[in-house]
Amino acid sequence: MTRIWHFDGASGIRHQPELVPEADGFRLVSEGGGGELHRWSDLVSTGDKNGSATFGHKQRRGWRIGFEGGIPPELQAMLPKPAKYGRVIDRIGLWPAAGAFAAISAAALFVAVRVPDWLAPLVPESVEQRIGDAMVGDFGGRVCNGPGGQEALNALVRRVEPDPKGLKVRVVNVNMVNAVALPGGNIFVFRGLLQEAKSPDELAGVIGHEIGHVRNRDVMQALLRQMGLSVLLGGMDGNVAGGMNSLLASTYSREAEAKADQYSIRAMQNARVSPLDTAGFFARLAEMERKLQGDGKGSGLLGYLSSHPMSAAREKAFRTSAVRGDPHTPAITAQQWRALVDNCRNDPDVEDEEGLLF
Amino acid sequence: MGIGTEDETAFAFDGSWREFAPIALTNTLLTFATLGFYRFWATTRERHYLWGKTRFIDDSLEWTGKGIELFWGFLAASVLFGVPLLVLSFILQGLMLQNQTVIASVIIGVLYVWLFYMGGVAIFRGLRYRLSRSYWHGIHGGCDEGGWHFGWKYLWKTVASYLCMMLLLPWSMTALWKDRWEAMSFGPHHFKSDPQWSGLMGKYVLAYLSPFIAMFGAIILAVMLAIPAGIMGAMSEGGDPPAAVIGVIIFGVLAFYLIMPLLALVFYSAYMREVVGTLSLSDLEFNFAATTKDWIKLFLGNFALWVLAGLVAAVPIGIFGLMDQFVKVDPAQSGFLSNPVTYIGFIIALAVPFGIVGPFVRYRNWGFFIRHMEATGEVNLTTLTQSSTREIKQGEGLLDAFDMGAM
Repeated sequence: MTRIWHFDGASGIRHQPELVPEADGFRLVSEGGGGELHRWSDLVSTGDKNGSATFGHKQRRGWRIGFEGGIPPELQAMLPKPAKYGRVIDRIGLWPAAGAFAAISAAALFVAVRVPDWLAPLVPESVEQRIGDAMVGDFGGRVCNGPGGQEALNALVRRVEPDPKGLKVRVVNVNMVNAVALPGGNIFVFRGLLQEAKSPDELAGVIGHEIGHVRNRDVMQALLRQMGLSVLLGGMDGNVAGGMNSLLASTYSREAEAKADQYSIRAMQNARVSPLDTAGFFARLAEMERKLQGDGKGSGLLGYLSSHPMSAAREKAFRTSAVRGDPHTPAITAQQWRALVDNCRNDPDVEDEEGLLF
Repeated sequence: MGIGTEDETAFAFDGSWREFAPIALTNTLLTFATLGFYRFWATTRERHYLWGKTRFIDDSLEWTGKGIELFWGFLAASVLFGVPLLVLSFILQGLMLQNQTVIASVIIGVLYVWLFYMGGVAIFRGLRYRLSRSYWHGIHGGCDEGGWHFGWKYLWKTVASYLCMMLLLPWSMTALWKDRWEAMSFGPHHFKSDPQWSGLMGKYVLAYLSPFIAMFGAIILAVMLAIPAGIMGAMSEGGDPPAAVIGVIIFGVLAFYLIMPLLALVFYSAYMREVVGTLSLSDLEFNFAATTKDWIKLFLGNFALWVLAGLVAAVPIGIFGLMDQFVKVDPAQSGFLSNPVTYIGFIIALAVPFGIVGPFVRYRNWGFFIRHMEATGEVNLTTLTQSSTREIKQGEGLLDAFDMGAM
């Protein structure tokens, strides 16, 4: 017989019955007489309250018993053990559990990073096309349509990509030195890049790079990866998740960038367009990067720098791909080039970049 | 059962940070190892300790919530909100690119109203969950409403107070306190609360006007300093930079970082005394005694803990030169981002100390809250029967999703 304290869960009164063990359970007996029979298996540990081990009842909310002077040795074996970290962890131990969780987490992160590579090629082109159209459309009327501009651009695209199936390359009236590939084969060349470019060959290299992204299904991969990671890291709150997310997304995109560069270099070789001007473009960008580093500030206008790999390394890749003595011709004629560069200026109906909310 | 003499308070917190530390440290370890998914169980362990060390009259509280409840709540909120929001963000991006700004703005507007409404629902349901899992003498609290009605009140009262240039904020805050607490119960008794907002207005207006007062003060100061400086300047051509400018800047910084938060705290501590001071449960009347000075001490202590975490983080970052990688990015070299080891090292160096300090800040907050709680009156244990509120299954998923504080 053991004197315990007891709440019955029906009222707040503290009872002080005696616990009388029986063959398959126990009764709580107070002066008024014997209580009902409870099975040992009905008990759950509710932890420790000021030094006394407490137990609840599986079917009754608020029902508690507590052993003020500690659990008598003869009852030890009948009573459930208190949970500490959680059921699974208590069973295998803290450190093995932490190690196992860390391994699972690493594997999950790895899968989340890799799965888009496997899934992206499975998304039908038509679906990607529809996503692209829904997301992008005509860039809010900012696509430039000056006389001969689009024709010149098409000619340039055909030069580096003789079969431009599924590609929609257009110039938009945004003053950024950048070009982007969006879902559905949509490639946008920003006006700032046209103004910065010194020759059509230079532009051909950059467009070849973006075509590489489209053909490698990088855009779909990026979309899927972003979604996958935000789901996986949803469990972690705050900036850690944000930092990890951008890290994982960006390290991978560097790999994709290098592949897109290789694609561009191969396309230029096949088309007999000189890679040297593109190399020159990257040399100028590298120079700007160095200046920006010196200033200690970045520039929103140079979007190309923040979303693409280090220019100096890329300059080298393009420059060394040039084979001495290869016959090269300009990507498009001087006349076409003029029409392309002035594509936006010659289009009076084009929307300007104000109100572009992104 | 009556409540003790004047020097014996009904509430007491007798936790010790040495006991709490193993809980906090193992929680942090497991949370990192699981990419954050252990935090539901971590919260539960933390609360089990804090509640257990909180004594009310003759018995301690008991937290009976379970990690899995919080986890399901989080999952439900993620599916109900995360997925639609993710899809909607893609749609919005597309609409903006296509210049459909009107449709996009309408969608964003509706979204904000809806999120605001759900924020109110989340506050209500968070309180309901906590009461339903808090036991004393084997009795728990709860509520029969789902908070959907409170969500509307939260929406319109807050918007109304904003529309009056935020001048009615004390009214909306006290009214909403009453709205949610009077819906709650413990055992068979309903909470009652009738806070008055008129008494808070003076302090609120002072805090509200403090930016204007600061600006006005800066102008006066500038004029006062500029006139003599101008005269001096006229006498000696090409003198030192005007002292007025420096004076105004110092004053502005002081006003912005010290005086304005201080006045806001004066209001908030008065608000807490008012709302808790009018709270009652059957024959029990509650009181919250923390003065502005107590709050300042709490915040300074917490701030010191965060600073400590920052200093601890600075050691490995300094030793391994992790910061250099941020500052010196040589374009010709492989960049910072291509070196994930440094990047992950940097994140870990920051996350570990801050992850460890977090629980101790919550520990301090809880201790502060309980130490300043008081109660007077009587508890009749025979009539304190079990709560008949319906049992709720999941935890604070909504509150969690909306990232709202625990206190």
